[in-house]
Amino acid sequence: MNTLNYYLDIFKVTVPQMESLVAKALERGGDFADLYFEYTTFNNLMLRDSEVTSGGFHIDYGVGVRTISGDRTGYAYAENTRMRDMMDAAAAASAIASGTSGTWTQPASRLVEAGADLYPVLKSWRKTELSEFVPFLHALERAVLEREKRAVKVIARVSSSDSDVLMFNSLGEITFDSRPMGSVVVSVIYSDGRNTISKSSSRSFRTGAEMLDDALVETLADEVVRNVDALLEAERPKGGQMPVVMGAGASGILLHEAMGHAFEADFNRKGQSIFAGRIGERVAAKGINVVDDGLLAANRGAGAFDDEGVRGEKTYMVTDGVLTSYLHDRVSARYYGLESTGNGRRECFRFNPIPRMRATYMEGGADDPRAIIESVRKGIYCAEFTNGQVKIGEGDFTFYVKSGWMIENGRLTRPVKDINIIGNGPKALADITMVGNDLKVDNGTWTCGKDQSVPVSCGIPTVLVKSLAVGGM
Amino acid sequence: MITAAEIAAARSCMALASGFGASASRVSLGKSIMDSYSLRDSAVDKVSHNSDCSIYLTVFVDGRSGNFSTNRLDSDELSDFVKKAVATTRLLAPDTCRHLQDPALTAKNVSEGDELNLYDRSWHYLEPGIRLEKAFAPAVKFREIVPAAGEWHDCACAQAEKSGGSVRTGLKWRLISEESEWSDGLDDNYLIDSNGFEGRHIETSFSYCSEVTIEDSEGNKYSGYWWECAPKLAELDYEGCSLAALQNAVGQIGPARTRGGYRTMVLDSRVASRLVSPIIGSLSAMSVQQKNSFLEGKLGEKVFSDHFTFIDKPIIPGKSGSRLFDTEGTATKERTLIERGVVKTYFVSSYAASKTGLAPTVEGVSVPVIEPFCTKGPLVPDASGMIRRFRNGIYVTGLNGGNCNNVTGDFSYGVSGFVFRNGKILAPFKEGLITGNMIELWNNIAAAGTDARTATRWQIPSLVFTDVSFSV
Repeated sequence: MNTLNYYLDIFKVTVPQMESLVAKALERGGDFADLYFEYTTFNNLMLRDSEVTSGGFHIDYGVGVRTISGDRTGYAYAENTRMRDMMDAAAAASAIASGTSGTWTQPASRLVEAGADLYPVLKSWRKTELSEFVPFLHALERAVLEREKRAVKVIARVSSSDSDVLMFNSLGEITFDSRPMGSVVVSVIYSDGRNTISKSSSRSFRTGAEMLDDALVETLADEVVRNVDALLEAERPKGGQMPVVMGAGASGILLHEAMGHAFEADFNRKGQSIFAGRIGERVAAKGINVVDDGLLAANRGAGAFDDEGVRGEKTYMVTDGVLTSYLHDRVSARYYGLESTGNGRRECFRFNPIPRMRATYMEGGADDPRAIIESVRKGIYCAEFTNGQVKIGEGDFTFYVKSGWMIENGRLTRPVKDINIIGNGPKALADITMVGNDLKVDNGTWTCGKDQSVPVSCGIPTVLVKSLAVGGM
Repeated sequence: MITAAEIAAARSCMALASGFGASASRVSLGKSIMDSYSLRDSAVDKVSHNSDCSIYLTVFVDGRSGNFSTNRLDSDELSDFVKKAVATTRLLAPDTCRHLQDPALTAKNVSEGDELNLYDRSWHYLEPGIRLEKAFAPAVKFREIVPAAGEWHDCACAQAEKSGGSVRTGLKWRLISEESEWSDGLDDNYLIDSNGFEGRHIETSFSYCSEVTIEDSEGNKYSGYWWECAPKLAELDYEGCSLAALQNAVGQIGPARTRGGYRTMVLDSRVASRLVSPIIGSLSAMSVQQKNSFLEGKLGEKVFSDHFTFIDKPIIPGKSGSRLFDTEGTATKERTLIERGVVKTYFVSSYAASKTGLAPTVEGVSVPVIEPFCTKGPLVPDASGMIRRFRNGIYVTGLNGGNCNNVTGDFSYGVSGFVFRNGKILAPFKEGLITGNMIELWNNIAAAGTDARTATRWQIPSLVFTDVSFSV
């Protein structure tokens, strides 16, 4: 476990200097100011055409300074920690406040301890030579080729990052965090001479280099060759309005996009979300719980602290079908007179934090997944999504289903691919009529792109949406 | 602006790399400065000042190559960075296909940075007060029409009529929020390699974007956006942005149910790039080499409509996106990508050239342009003319989600817009889908206008496609 001095050394800064910077950020008034120091190293390595010939590392270092006045934000950053440059950034951030002199008095600085250790690391990425990843990539390619002779191209990538973060604010709170991340993606092109398809699988965890083991090779290889027969034969079905069964796990991206963003408090504070002003209202059937969880150990969305120095937590947005909370950063929490839910996140020191999801999922229900499929006379089973888009105000979403199955008379029959499903998030949430007992959080390399890119994860049990538009032929 | 000291730091990286045993290297120094002022409901919501400077280093050691970057430019830090970069590269497998671009192909006399007239020196004189004044200008116009949030407005107002929407009578709307952002910045990029290439590209940008959210009297919300961007301050015509965003939102009120089927589609220039992007991606020689392109094996073949001619025009002075050299220093020039439906060239980087045996071109597109034409009478410049000419169909103004399978070209996109009949807009629609295959779609192109937005780098005009599979 690192100590405060470890971070002060990395950033070549002292507590009195941080106090001076916050004082500068509030010299024209304002209600709150904070500093976000970040040192991140990235590594990447890629296998292509059976050779690991591409790779490198990247270093990012700097400090962001924010001043909040009411619910307005001033933000600037420096790419070094020279006091002069940090002071310039603080002065730029202070411009959001209109006064000529602030009345803020610095409280005594104090360290805020983190809760449980969410990042189990046995082997630090920073202390692992890039060359140690090479055998893993070759083993992964070999495992794919051994399993599936129709694989004509394999690309496998390992990437990792280690971020050291130090935060300080005008409440005198000092927090720090060291955040690891490792990701593996394998993409394969298959051809049977008649049809060609692409498929990929990935895993991403906030853990150390020990994740690159034989078990992960087997898991990814099994996953990326699964259902290749079906995908090669899959067709685009006839579209229309029909029941849609979301497969457990990766279908959670629909929950993230179509409903999750509408729970973010900035959209609600501005009145733009379809859920604005609806706290306490029923938005889903009884028994449905929707959660955003920052406390899943090793999860891509986990955080001991968010990027405003607020401890991570598990937040219920929908409890037994009723809208119970938005996802707050400090700005929205102050607006609503609530505590932050620890959702103030940012891509890096270059961005101010805003409400963002972490690991968003629906808790498991009581239904047998097989019974859910058997309940559908004619519909679609969605197995694999690639991307989606939502209009926050309207709640309208479109999702691209890369693979799935037709459901006919309660059975999965023909494989389908390359279809869109279209609907309205809140309506789809309200139209969920069955929830499986098989919650699965997907550990793929999900990244949310709301203005800034942040790592997230998502999950869902098998669920039945009674009617959605399916775009086919 | 990049300083002499920063240029010296970039040069020192090359010298250090050589000293540590690299046989060749390339250094890209990028510096960008941006200021932005965001408004919400005509009050300042956020101000930000950004300044970045990073070095990107590619080293070639013992037949191997690696890519590295850092924003820690102090000399001690740089020395450690380069030393570690060279050592790390030695850990990779040899790859004889990786090398610097052939000096015969790199651009010459491009070290000034302003050869393409994209650098507005007046940017240096912008003060916070001036930026704030500019940020408020569209909001002032907006407030003349919509003085405050919460007040109800008749849908048949001038804004709705301008949008072309035929909204349901009886519905009213009110403003929920109006957000906008002024931003201006300078990008300065300096590229050198150990074969003697030296290039610089300086570009300023001034932009404004607005997003308006409204609610109708049945509680349905709609949002609209608009943006403008120019490399020169004097060229930025942006004061109508917030009103244009409002018009786009109001125009969507009261969407009607419509029928699916094979329809003529007029695709507005503001979203047309989205359906061009899969073609650009599939013209990448690396995608072709990786069998991840629906244009694999199509070089020299007629794949698309006789009418479809697609050109990359990278050297248009004063036009954003123009550049004299690519990321390898390769000299750019006008290239016909698709000529009357025939695939004429791929984008071939030095690496892709070695991997495929194709002659190198450039690593990617700069300013793609579609030649205007119309299969049904004289040229029509814009979407409104296309609606009148083609009489019946759907006019797509929004693409919401969807994807294109790079391998097959099969696509499915969510669409919204308007149904038109007898040459006139009939009603808005949403939650529509278009599906098909890119090759089939671009064989059914029936018109390309001349209304590509000046605010975008890709110069894609409004387009007409026939027989598009549309479902709702």
